[in-house]
Amino acid sequence: MISWEYPPRIVGGIARHCEGLAKALVKQGCEVHIFTLDFPGAPEYEESDGIRIYRTRSEVGHPNFLSWVLLFNHFIEKRLAAVSKRVNFDVLHVHDWLTAPCSIATKLFVGKPLVFTAHSTENGRSGLHIPDSFTIDGLEWWSTFEANKVIVTSNSMKHEVCGHFNIPWEKVDIIPNAIDPSKYQVGVDRWAVRGRYGIQPHEKLVLCVGRLVPQKGIEYFLHSVPILARRRPEAKFIIVGDGWYRDHLEWVANTTGERWRIGFTGFVSDNDLIALTKSADVMVVPSIYEPFGIVALEGMAAGVPIVASQIGGLTEFIEHDRTGVLVYPRNPESIAWGIEYVLSNPDHARWLAQNAFETVQKSFSWEAIAKKTCRIYEEVAGMQQVKKE
Amino acid sequence: MSYTPLPPVPEEFKVLSMMHNIGAITIDRSLTPEELAMWTGIEIGIVRDCLQRLKELGYVEHTAINGVEKFHVTKIGIMKVLTLYS
Repeated sequence: MISWEYPPRIVGGIARHCEGLAKALVKQGCEVHIFTLDFPGAPEYEESDGIRIYRTRSEVGHPNFLSWVLLFNHFIEKRLAAVSKRVNFDVLHVHDWLTAPCSIATKLFVGKPLVFTAHSTENGRSGLHIPDSFTIDGLEWWSTFEANKVIVTSNSMKHEVCGHFNIPWEKVDIIPNAIDPSKYQVGVDRWAVRGRYGIQPHEKLVLCVGRLVPQKGIEYFLHSVPILARRRPEAKFIIVGDGWYRDHLEWVANTTGERWRIGFTGFVSDNDLIALTKSADVMVVPSIYEPFGIVALEGMAAGVPIVASQIGGLTEFIEHDRTGVLVYPRNPESIAWGIEYVLSNPDHARWLAQNAFETVQKSFSWEAIAKKTCRIYEEVAGMQQVKKE
Repeated sequence: MSYTPLPPVPEEFKVLSMMHNIGAITIDRSLTPEELAMWTGIEIGIVRDCLQRLKELGYVEHTAINGVEKFHVTKIGIMKVLTLYS
């Protein structure tokens, strides 16, 4: 498995996805080798939960982003070449375009099939406005072209990938994301946690978690704050995460007239995030682009009612008014309505959260996702065998 | 409701991003403000101002080795940079 992020190097959902999948694949009897980038304090090689992890340091850097990407691909490719002399890989599985160049090269020199998981597309993330975006878009297309099979995490992503890259429908399989629900079965002193973030016992905690980047739609969430504050003056809002867009979002928060109600925590530890999620009255996922939306799944596993944009993958596992509340994306009035609906109907909110919790337990376990992934590995390995014969 | 178009990436964030891409993510690969100005093509005064702000925010760390001040990106600085690319 090849990915530019793997714990402790965590950017978005890919690191957690790769870790969860790798652990579950090992339990299925697969031998899993992870090739990724280095991170300060993490060893260059380690075996953890049966997974062999190779972290590669890019010996040469470059201030230009795309040049840096090509350079680190070169060093990961060298590592792949060295390891492939003693390990006979059956399948290569690359996550997103960032490590596609080294994965495609390895596919060609070891002569083994390549599976490409497209977690999102450049076109969807930010649109194709600048030269770098067109290059990334081209690399994404190249990855789908070279791969023997493409995996996406939702039906909406399948439509996006097949439509945008013009690849055959049958080449793309949907395997949703998963989480480990047991991580959320921990005892939390809800009132102590809320107190740490300045939430008084009579107040309501509205939580929003995500990278602070435009596609997460947090700007629209912030514009919903004054609308909601008029109707529910006891509401307070905590935004967890960080990102290049944070300065702008803090400026937006300052313009709402309700800045005192809004807290930005920056990055928090996994344990703190779980505690905060379990202590919230409602979690809001206001994304304007969301191929899957694993953060909503995490909220569902924690037993907190979800209010999410009716967009992308979110609509495929959140059933409106049964496992969560769907609202219009880019629409602060609608977001405020969804939050108020949950806060004003606590019994109904508990029912929504219970339904959501059961859905996660039933349909989004890593075990099920690993089984589906193994079937794809067997399928592409079989294709390769037929080609050789 | 109208929204302003996307704001430009802040200058200090560009410096942080370039530091990361160059590889200044550990003490042994830390760089002086002069080296950073040379690598990035950004004027030395701006580089110094950005480093000061990044240090206050916890995204870079400063070490003095034999009286020479050098800077590298911290772990949360790395995570911050990577949000630009995902």
